[in-house]
Amino acid sequence: MPLAFLIPVFSFAACPLIILFQRWLPLRGAPLAILAIGGGFVVWALTTVSFLGAAPENPACAVSGITGALTCHFSTSWFEAGLPGVAATVDQAIHLDWGIIIDPLTVVLLGLITFVALGVQLYSLEYMKGDPRFGWYFAWQALFVAAMLTLALADNFLLLYIAWELVGLCSYLLIGFWFENPGPREAAKKAFVVTRIGDVGLLVGILLLWVNVGSFSMTDAFAAAASGELGSGVTTAAAILLLLGAMGKSAQFPFHVWLPDAMEGPTPVSALIHAATMVIAGVYLVARAYPIFAASPEAMMIVAIVGLITALGAATIALVSTDLKRILAYSTVSHLGLMMLSLGAFGWTAAVFHLMAHGFAKALLFLGAGSVMHGVGAHGDVDIRRVGGLRRAMPVTAVVFSIGALSLGGIPILSGFWSKDEILIAVEHNLPVIFIVLTMLTAFLSALYMARAMFVVFFGAEGEDSHHAHESPLLMTGVMSVLAVLAVGFGWIAFNWPGAFGGIGGFVFYDHAEKFHFNYVLGALSIILAVGAFVLAWLVYVRRSVSHEPWRVRFAGVLRVVERRYYVDEAYQWSIDRVVLTVSAALAFFDRAVVNDVAVNGPADVVRKAGVALRLHVTGHVYTYALAVALGVIGLAIFWWLRSV
Amino acid sequence: MANFDQVSLLLLVLVPLAGAALAMFLPKDRPRDAWQFAIFVAAISFVLSVVVFLRYDYGAGGVQMVRSYDWIGQPVNITLHFGLNGIGAPLVLLNGIVLLGAVLISQTITRRTRDFFVLLLALGAGVFGVFVVRDLFFLFFFYELAVLPMYLLIGVWGSSTDFGTFLRTKEYGAMKLMLMLVAGSILIWVGILALYVASSQAGDPTFNIDKLAALQQDGAVSRLTQMWVFPFFALGFGVLAGLWPFHTWSPDGHVAAPTGVSMLHAGVLMKLGAFGIIQVGMILTPQGAEVWMPVLIGLGTVNVIYGAISALSQNDLKYVIGYSSVSHMGYVLMGIATLHPVGLAGAVLQMFSHGIMTALMFAMVGAIYERAHIRDSMILNGLIKRMGTTTFFFAIAGLASLGLPGLSGFIAEFMVFTGAFRTYLPLAVLGVIGAAITAVYILRLLARSFFGEGDPQWDHLTDASPVEKGVGAAFVLILIAVGVWPAPLLRVINTGVESALAVF
Repeated sequence: MPLAFLIPVFSFAACPLIILFQRWLPLRGAPLAILAIGGGFVVWALTTVSFLGAAPENPACAVSGITGALTCHFSTSWFEAGLPGVAATVDQAIHLDWGIIIDPLTVVLLGLITFVALGVQLYSLEYMKGDPRFGWYFAWQALFVAAMLTLALADNFLLLYIAWELVGLCSYLLIGFWFENPGPREAAKKAFVVTRIGDVGLLVGILLLWVNVGSFSMTDAFAAAASGELGSGVTTAAAILLLLGAMGKSAQFPFHVWLPDAMEGPTPVSALIHAATMVIAGVYLVARAYPIFAASPEAMMIVAIVGLITALGAATIALVSTDLKRILAYSTVSHLGLMMLSLGAFGWTAAVFHLMAHGFAKALLFLGAGSVMHGVGAHGDVDIRRVGGLRRAMPVTAVVFSIGALSLGGIPILSGFWSKDEILIAVEHNLPVIFIVLTMLTAFLSALYMARAMFVVFFGAEGEDSHHAHESPLLMTGVMSVLAVLAVGFGWIAFNWPGAFGGIGGFVFYDHAEKFHFNYVLGALSIILAVGAFVLAWLVYVRRSVSHEPWRVRFAGVLRVVERRYYVDEAYQWSIDRVVLTVSAALAFFDRAVVNDVAVNGPADVVRKAGVALRLHVTGHVYTYALAVALGVIGLAIFWWLRSV
Repeated sequence: MANFDQVSLLLLVLVPLAGAALAMFLPKDRPRDAWQFAIFVAAISFVLSVVVFLRYDYGAGGVQMVRSYDWIGQPVNITLHFGLNGIGAPLVLLNGIVLLGAVLISQTITRRTRDFFVLLLALGAGVFGVFVVRDLFFLFFFYELAVLPMYLLIGVWGSSTDFGTFLRTKEYGAMKLMLMLVAGSILIWVGILALYVASSQAGDPTFNIDKLAALQQDGAVSRLTQMWVFPFFALGFGVLAGLWPFHTWSPDGHVAAPTGVSMLHAGVLMKLGAFGIIQVGMILTPQGAEVWMPVLIGLGTVNVIYGAISALSQNDLKYVIGYSSVSHMGYVLMGIATLHPVGLAGAVLQMFSHGIMTALMFAMVGAIYERAHIRDSMILNGLIKRMGTTTFFFAIAGLASLGLPGLSGFIAEFMVFTGAFRTYLPLAVLGVIGAAITAVYILRLLARSFFGEGDPQWDHLTDASPVEKGVGAAFVLILIAVGVWPAPLLRVINTGVESALAVF
């Protein structure tokens, strides 16, 4: 188990090796990245086995008094700064460790990341074939995964922040991978800058905790928060600041704008970003720092509200988008909102469960979308109005995509149904009634837009772009098929299976183990909504017996607002163009015209002009000086005369 | 090696100085010989600086490798007194690295090459001198030795640029730089004389830093004196550190300076100012420092934000980096002004980190300017196509500049924030925001000039030469090494911080 640190290290090592030696390596070094993540997956499996088995006897492990979960720490000193020798004054120095934490949350997360990343990289072998920067692609992929794995393993806030920023960097590199085109270039910049704004909050939060706790260790911070030693004001402030960082990475309103644009990157990258890296970092942070959030009711309420607004708003946008990847992107935003909502509703297990279930399904859906693009030969956008009836040309893709859509839409017995159900229970139980009503609405919309995407693209009439479509190669369909199995069956780990395994709630839990329970009223409602949504979509888009045109006309105004995505992007653009750049230009002008030309050149000019003026007095003619002497003598004479009078 | 320690610091100054003197006798019309000779001298200096850094015993701390040479005895008392502390040691290393890099990159200087390297080596000797001398008279002497060659280096070998609405000639840049720095020197000299007078009133006239510090500890320098002397040091040295609002010499100086000079200018010269504030201002007039530090951290924060916002709307690559330096030196000033061990250590680490990072940026911009004869980021486009390696190195320097973890800048800035959080929380938050603004202008620059679809007019460009690639690769490795494993530098810096803060 101490060797768990190797999980990211393999991939970290692969990145520079590929960059340096890609010219000489087979397939430009791509197998190296795959081997690295495969090795990570194996180490993860071994770690999990040893964690489940012999952990309690391990001196590095203990059952945490706060989370109630078995937690193991391994660390080694990294650096010290300030006055480390002066032991009495803790605030005069900082001590940093390379430290990893292994607990159920980390274990399940590492499993998701390594598994999905492995699948995505195998898929990319086929998808990225022939790209001039094939080697670079796999180098950045390796770094991306390594950073994300480190983020999940970090046991102190600084290491987490480092990994956090590296994840941001890699998303920048991968979203902007085709930087020759303005779209990816702008999208990459947007992703980095928007998440960086959130990161200011995260860093300030981390420093605030350090000032009040005296250490960057998460364990210390959580203990201080849980015991109330931190004070309610600081706890709430720290929670909100950490949440800002989480909102940036997890694309929560109003920081969600970067994620839909991030589809400009290669589609497998989107699969990775949306399922296993990047966006789940924010949800993970809130889940990891839960002792701080749980100690502040105000912060919990904010988490829930942010989650709900994001979930509902994004779902409405997904419903009216016409680009397949954009629909999936807003769907991710919406589901991340649901996870946040669940965390805010004390549904910790439900949030982590949904994170996993959504991860598998969303990876599958994006890879499916990539397969569609590959099949119809599209680059960039896939307008769902121009493709259709692809089930004949691409049968495997059609089946697996439909499974993903049904799962995420919340159709019973598939994974998404069980995890969504847990969230509904938590929301219903712990939050005011308005929350459950709106969550139900979100669930309905979620099913509706998934159904729309699935029916329009694969069923119904053939579109103009789908004539030459062909099925994708075996490697791509194979990866998708494996993910499809998980999208169907992963959710069944929720149950109290006979034997030692007490369901996911018996392993991944906060404070106390939870048994699987099912609320029949909520369950029935959610089944009716989900199935109803799929039936409705089938009637509208396949049988075309119901038309939505009258609705589109009647609510044209609302529709326009939603289609323009509530003008959030415009608001950002306006504030950058009109506020930031104006201020910057004004300041730059001030620097040149006032600070330099007046304050610096001014005195210089005065000296020069004084020199010019005074120079006239130095004529070099004897009579001028004689005159001056004479005038001086006369003056003095008058002075004395006046004094003597 | 004990014998070596006796003369190591003297050698550190003497080697480049002797190199400069010898270079004068090289034939005038053989630029390549002059370049190779300068590399030879700079390489020896580099090796010396590495050895000196490694020989500094961080377990013992304090001032080491002390050696004193009497110059003028009683009653004036001026001695050439060498000694190295934990703050000087990493900066000596920095100067060794940047000097060698700057000499290597100056392969492209073809006009009056010999004279160029004479001045460049003299400048390097002056910088080494400031970092290792423990006598205010000679500190001032070396300080001037480092500053004065800049005038000629920019005025003779620089370039003039027409920005449409205004013109920046190399003469203007050189003159402004010179006058502002000399004005700063006058303030410093007044401060030094004030301390000298105070020491002679105490019966022991001296310029020796350690003796003056001891006198101060004994209460021989009144609080009132310290209160009015400290601003002289803070402003005088501050001008060289790019302290707002006395920073304008710096971006204009960069725009006019040739590449190698820009590297030294931003890489080490600006550090002299910050080093002076610590070594002279803080240690000799601590009571004054305590009173004035809130003002200094305020100005430092202005530096950070003001520099970053100004950089945002610059189009010339050198202006962007020049204003970015103003912004980053703001972190150094903030860290110093916290008077907190972590903040101060962060400031010193930031000096090292920024020195490498900014020298790398200027080296790469120089490579671009050499080929495209233009630095306007609105006109340059898609450089990655033809100059892949250059772009790669510039991007890494840019990422270090925006505080990306894993590179040296992050650790340093993080430590400055940590110290500032303990002492001046609101300003620390502004500092963090400044780092976010940095991300905006660096990424805009990268997206605009380096990535992009490319412009056929730049298809003739060639990638960096082997020498440029070598320098770039070495600097990138240092950025990564310090970012991943800062302990070797920090344990030396920690001892320096301990002795600097012991006077408070």
